[in-house]
Amino acid sequence: MPVHYEESIDLMNKDGGLKGNLSLTNITDLLQFLSSSAKSGVIRLQSHPGGEEGKIHFVGGELVSVVSKNLSGLEGLADLLSWDQGTFHFLPGVAAQKTNIGLSVQHAIMEAVVLLDKQASTTVNETLRSDERSFDMQEAERSSTEVMNDLLEIPGIDAVVVVGRDGFVIESAGSSARVNIDELGASLAHSINGIEEMGSELNVNRFQDMFIEYGRAVIMCRPVGDAVAAIITPDASKLGIIRHKTRKLFEELGHSF
Amino acid sequence: MTVMRDTVVKSLARVTVQADENGLIPEYEVLVNLLPVALLNTFMERIMAAAPPERKAEVEAGLVRAAYECGYHTGCGIITSDIFNEVVLPMVTEGEKDILRGAYAAFTAWGWAKSGIVQLKEAEKMVIRAFDYYEADSGGDGLRGFMLRGLSQAFFDLAYADPYPDGMDTFVCHQTKGIEAGDPYGEFIVVKK
Repeated sequence: MPVHYEESIDLMNKDGGLKGNLSLTNITDLLQFLSSSAKSGVIRLQSHPGGEEGKIHFVGGELVSVVSKNLSGLEGLADLLSWDQGTFHFLPGVAAQKTNIGLSVQHAIMEAVVLLDKQASTTVNETLRSDERSFDMQEAERSSTEVMNDLLEIPGIDAVVVVGRDGFVIESAGSSARVNIDELGASLAHSINGIEEMGSELNVNRFQDMFIEYGRAVIMCRPVGDAVAAIITPDASKLGIIRHKTRKLFEELGHSF
Repeated sequence: MTVMRDTVVKSLARVTVQADENGLIPEYEVLVNLLPVALLNTFMERIMAAAPPERKAEVEAGLVRAAYECGYHTGCGIITSDIFNEVVLPMVTEGEKDILRGAYAAFTAWGWAKSGIVQLKEAEKMVIRAFDYYEADSGGDGLRGFMLRGLSQAFFDLAYADPYPDGMDTFVCHQTKGIEAGDPYGEFIVVKK
């Protein structure tokens, strides 16, 4: 029989549940792991260093309710996905008092990531407007190499490659040394060309993202200026968080090409 | 569709660069000199070493000019050649920008420099990156990409200045980075003169 949240506090004291640190596993991975094993219950989260609290209730593979600070539903989930420091505590069998999401875990994560992207885009645009105002005084643009090194710092990213529209490999970083980088550049350029032709035939906008899945590995491509950047990640489960964290850096990389 | 570099490189690399009885490569109608790059580098370094300090800039400008004259005239021959029309033009959808992409792919196919366009503002500015150019092995001090400077300037003149032969000296190319100076690649920026 499910127990309610208040009761779970007692339960937590009696039963340790599953505890861990968000620096070791992120919320996306945790949710995917618990839902894939058909668990039901609540994940209590506490951020560090702020000490803010969040709760995620789910039943089987479905997210029922999410609360983070004063945000709830998808907004709350988007906020929680941006936490990378803190602790979590999973308590099985704890039911939610009300429903504010009602989506599968995978679907909810994707929706929350889209929401995060929109929020990040607004922030970037505001920053760019503010930068333009102060541009008269300083021109402190970072080099593409510095930005690419920052991209490599994001957990889960194995390699980054920037390719011209003609397939010229402009720059690469990370463990791309084990692949034939010129062949990769040519293949990416041919793929992007095909996709842009399709977009043109369909009379839709230029392509914004391209994901190619190979088992668990994924190549994610995005335009950067007149070129295309591709990141290679061996673990598709981190794609949501990678997509969110790379957005601002891709914008910055676009200034170099 | 835009110009696909690998397609151009593969097609042009098949062309025999053997001179005919007039000393020309028949496919391009341009003069061919099959000289080892060590000879070219040695010539460049000796002529630079022979110049007194106050005239080194002049000698440098002369070397760039030599590459420019060659690049402007033979470059025109190349981008109007039958083989360029056959291989590159069917892929051109972005006008001069694609012609330039094709020109740098040709440049790579012939082993002069593994180079390509990084940034291009039409008729204003072009940034080129080169990873493998023979002048990087010249052994001299400072930036030595004179051939790439001259040719990049010539290509941009051919693409965006007045039609051949009236568009000479409209743009200028500066080298900002070089493998020979310890950078990971050579960088060449073409701007209006």
